[in-house]
Amino acid sequence: MLIIEDAIKEAQEAIVKCDENKAVAIAKQAIDAGLDLVKLLNDGFSAGIRIVGDKFGRGEIFLPELILSAEVMKKVTEILETAIVSDSAKEKKAVILIATVEGDVHDIGKGIVVSLLKTQGFEVVDIGRDVPVDKIIEKAIEVNADIIGTSALLTTTLVEQQKLEEELRARGLRDRFKTIVGGAPCTERWAKKIGADAYGEDASDAVVKCLKLLEK
Amino acid sequence: MSKFFTRMGDGSAVFLSEAEIRRDLEEGMLDAADRGKIPELTDDEMERLYQIITDPQKTVSIERGNEVVMTFDAGTLKLPVRAGLPVDRMTTVLTHERVLCSDTMEIGNADYSYKQLKNIVHEEAASMEFTQLNCIIPVFYGAMPNLGLYTKPDGPVDNWSELLPMAKIGEARAAQEEAIEMAVKDMVYIASILYEAGADGINFDTVGASGDGDFLATLKAIEILKSKYPDMAIEVGMAGEFVLGMHGQLEYDGTRLAGLYPHEQVKVVEKAGGTIFGAVINTNSSKSLPWNLARAVTFSKACSEASNIPVHVNAGMGVGGIPLTNTSPTDATSRVSKSLIEIGKADGL
Repeated sequence: MLIIEDAIKEAQEAIVKCDENKAVAIAKQAIDAGLDLVKLLNDGFSAGIRIVGDKFGRGEIFLPELILSAEVMKKVTEILETAIVSDSAKEKKAVILIATVEGDVHDIGKGIVVSLLKTQGFEVVDIGRDVPVDKIIEKAIEVNADIIGTSALLTTTLVEQQKLEEELRARGLRDRFKTIVGGAPCTERWAKKIGADAYGEDASDAVVKCLKLLEK
Repeated sequence: MSKFFTRMGDGSAVFLSEAEIRRDLEEGMLDAADRGKIPELTDDEMERLYQIITDPQKTVSIERGNEVVMTFDAGTLKLPVRAGLPVDRMTTVLTHERVLCSDTMEIGNADYSYKQLKNIVHEEAASMEFTQLNCIIPVFYGAMPNLGLYTKPDGPVDNWSELLPMAKIGEARAAQEEAIEMAVKDMVYIASILYEAGADGINFDTVGASGDGDFLATLKAIEILKSKYPDMAIEVGMAGEFVLGMHGQLEYDGTRLAGLYPHEQVKVVEKAGGTIFGAVINTNSSKSLPWNLARAVTFSKACSEASNIPVHVNAGMGVGGIPLTNTSPTDATSRVSKSLIEIGKADGL
């Protein structure tokens, strides 16, 4: 008989090893055994994804593996969510709108952040690079975003993040969205200075900060 | 309890106690040793780092006899762009030679990528010739491999940054392999013309910025260039402390490139024919200078010990332990430089 502790351990392993068959099997066995599926999702599969994120940050696994793990996660999440009567796991999800600011065409880092956010169940609306503040706000309203994330690689484009904060305040929308900023020249101090809600040092940190924003 | 002035990784001032500094030094050093699977610094080296950090002098310097050679990346972009001085490239090179006493200098274009230089390479060659006629120090020509420029919409190859989030891994890998061949061709073309125009060396800068494909393209280009010009000096400056696995399976001579740390990167650069290795250790802007410095020194020492070619550790904005600020504070820069040279065994910066 499968017990929750073993299921959690195996779920983590399946995610870290990108093993879809094993992950799906564990999910189905857990449903049949009547285990706590929310716990399995959060402490097993989601924890596995956090391990993957950490390994990625240390250069121990790479983007393709990260993506594969995310795909496995997506599959088991679908299976488990169908079976979960309680909606508690779903409540954690949020919509995040993400963009590289106007004047800046760098999007490698943003792409990694998008991949990692998806692994954590966020619905990510990536509106690309070189995006003006007006369009970011317009789209955030349209998709009813919970969080707006902006990336800037250049010191010259960093000010666009400040412009976004100012524009949100000017339009009376500041309390409607949480904001997170990132990118090479961006720092915690910059985030505080412009009034952003969070700063992501790297992709893994950005995900952790987004999850924390949801708790606020 | 007395506190010492130091900085955070974002450049802000902070006063830390002896215990806090020692704790940060220890944690930074252990982080490097753990991530890189490299030896920890000795107790003597840690004590020396503590002394350097807490030295009452605003700026510190190396002991006489420990001087090292300096090379530059984006050399001619620093004064006009970073410092905002309206000077041309020739003046920049001569200022470095005659005012700043630089050992070497590098000419680079504002479009600092090999792909972008194809249309103007002969103008670049002329600039190199005139500069060489006017200065004494060795002058490199430098640019970035920048594999991302070969992807749509800037280039012909499918964009793996878009394919990967869609889980199209096979397609993303194939796109990178296609871009590698194009980048190799461009790098060899540009480097050959500039070398024949008189460049004393070629600098491949910010290598690996687009991942392991970017690194492999550079290594392949170096191989070809060394077979064409055996005496060519080639500097390889990295983009980050470990090679990002955008592809994940690329190998050079049997070594998987993704995930390599500086002491491993230098070995493949050496094998390809590189003559100077520019190690990069990332600065964490949320951690203190002691934390970042101990970490950088630990990586630098392991890299230098593994290498048979000179290691010039990148010591600038946001790398090598130097804070992430547009203009590096000299109290931090001088401490980083001294530590990297005297404890991290850097052959140059």
